[in-house]
Amino acid sequence: MKTPLLAAALACVPLLATASADVAAMLKSADRYRTGAEHLQVETQVTVLQRDGSLDKERRYTVFVQPQRKSLVLMRSPAEAGQKVLMLGDDFWLLLPGSQRPLRITPTQKLLGDASTGDIATLAWADDYSGRLVGDEPCPAPDERRACVHLALQAARKGVSYQRIELWLGKVRHEPVAAELYVHSDKLAKQARFVMDASSAQVDQMVLIDRLGSNKETRVRYLARTPKQVPENWLNPMFLARNPSLE
Amino acid sequence: MSAHAPSRSPAGLAPEVALPADRRSRIRGNPGLSGFLRRGTKVITVGVVAIAALSEAMPALADEAPAHSADARAEVTLRGDARSANASGPLAAAERLQPGTAAPPSDGLIVQAELRNTWRTKAFGPGVALGANVLLASERTGARWRGASRVNELQASLDLGAWQASAGKKVLGWDVGYGFRPNDVVQQQERRTLFGQTPEGRPLVQLEHFDAESALSLVWVNPERWRDDADQARGARESAFAARAYRRAGAADWHFFARHGRHTGASTGAAVSWVADDATELHASARAFERHDRWNDGGAAAGALLHASPWAMATGGGGVSWLAGGQWTGESRIGVLAEAWHDATAPSDRDWSRWRDRNRALVAMQSAPAAAVAGNLAWQATPLAGSLRRDNLFLRLSWSESPWQLSLDALWQPADRGRVVTAALQWQGDRLRIDAAWRHFGGPAGSLLAQLPVRGTVLLAASLAL
Repeated sequence: MKTPLLAAALACVPLLATASADVAAMLKSADRYRTGAEHLQVETQVTVLQRDGSLDKERRYTVFVQPQRKSLVLMRSPAEAGQKVLMLGDDFWLLLPGSQRPLRITPTQKLLGDASTGDIATLAWADDYSGRLVGDEPCPAPDERRACVHLALQAARKGVSYQRIELWLGKVRHEPVAAELYVHSDKLAKQARFVMDASSAQVDQMVLIDRLGSNKETRVRYLARTPKQVPENWLNPMFLARNPSLE
Repeated sequence: MSAHAPSRSPAGLAPEVALPADRRSRIRGNPGLSGFLRRGTKVITVGVVAIAALSEAMPALADEAPAHSADARAEVTLRGDARSANASGPLAAAERLQPGTAAPPSDGLIVQAELRNTWRTKAFGPGVALGANVLLASERTGARWRGASRVNELQASLDLGAWQASAGKKVLGWDVGYGFRPNDVVQQQERRTLFGQTPEGRPLVQLEHFDAESALSLVWVNPERWRDDADQARGARESAFAARAYRRAGAADWHFFARHGRHTGASTGAAVSWVADDATELHASARAFERHDRWNDGGAAAGALLHASPWAMATGGGGVSWLAGGQWTGESRIGVLAEAWHDATAPSDRDWSRWRDRNRALVAMQSAPAAAVAGNLAWQATPLAGSLRRDNLFLRLSWSESPWQLSLDALWQPADRGRVVTAALQWQGDRLRIDAAWRHFGGPAGSLLAQLPVRGTVLLAASLAL
């Protein structure tokens, strides 16, 4: 009796491995629609709307995305011009203009700040999460007429803002369609919807609904994505405290 | 705010001391509004010319040659402070004896514009940057307007890749604490101010080296004062060589410091900031020093009536200052910051006992001329302008939900149970920021914080980013 069960179990191993490889490939594909390269400069415009649809605030960010989970967010709007957030793996710093002192911040502080929006925009799902195929199902509203692949992602490292993500990708091309982002306490923090550009080649806009309290809507528009390899210095918090040219 | 962390100086204690009138005028010595508008000062002119040049001429160059770039910003602020006078303390006693001896703390209104510009070029090979930050300000106290403008920064920098060099007037803040920074040996910035703004930089020459994980800074601060006597170069005005080595070790930032001051001699220190878990950051800092600058009363006897203030800065002995603290931020957007520190540069409990004894003796002088006693009492407020007690505990609670940030903090001095309580509220729009704050100094009647000339302050400010 045990032998057929063992044989069946062994037969499932390659299937599971194939499924896992498929999920990884799907995540890489989904990442490409949002970012597209390892060394990248992403210009984003973030618009936050109140629950009633009125404008709360508008912010501009430049995000330098580098390999090994390193990124630098520059704030461009007048209210926070000169501020920077440096993220090196699980370590984060806030830099304020007029101060020569980088502040070490915790993952929670980063998550609660506006800069986390830029982080979401450039988050590499394939690098930071391990995925499991939940199954094929209709996409979440308002795209319920489309067919989606539902993936359940679990953080593969300590410092990511969201411990798990429920992700829906287009069934054919694996472009991102919707996501639910959960914090470490397993509370639903944000619901995300991805809007493709006219040619359906890249994500043009990401719409986030805050579910932790405010229910505000945040629209993240990708204004430009260009390849950019930044010097080693730029990822040193003490160098950034000098307010150097980062053009 | 781009991340939920203490942004500007956490509102806490600023030893807001109304000084005797003679000392106040000596310190400020600024022209009135009309004088400020007519004459200005040489240094402001240099700063404004620099800003104007960088704003106007350089962008034109930038259009022609992409090797140039300019970055200009400005912030205009209107700020009002209402201060209530303290009914106890040496200044209040002087005023009771002889009205008019020391001007009571008055309300203030400040109009200011902070202009900042940086021009960069690579036309000469290595990157060259010229930066300026000028504060144009006018302050109304009582019925008079006074100029309060200054050049915060005016510096040139050379970018040689891993090596960076700077010279000029520059803000250079070091150390890891919020309420107290024993290793902030160059800038020596006032902490826990009610309204955070760019401090005035220090003249310095700086050479730095950076790689991915570490940094080394070598600084000569106040080089122009190297030959000055100690009395001409106290505190942050002292000429000194300073060095900082930084090393990132995973979740911890390590800093090591060394300084040699012209008259205060050698000091060394270390600091660490460590992110312990997703919500908690812990930090600590310590500095051992050979000598320090301190207030000295010249050995004035308790019962002596003097013709001039006995108080002057002098060089004191060595000691060790330290700070330990941590902050926790929850998903509910509530933050807690707690710090304890020992400031060995503050007067000792024994010094304050002598100070209290002299105050009592002066008040008890029934037969002496009131004006003389009042003057002597007013001079006794002088050391209240510095760091007060050596041991301090600081607690700050904050909550933020864009666009609002609310904070409540308390500083407690165990030696005499004096306390400062501050509440602050900030609203941040796209360009406009509104700050409101309330601060109260209190404690038992004999505590130092309960004897400051100011009992409480209310602040309201509106800032517009341009």
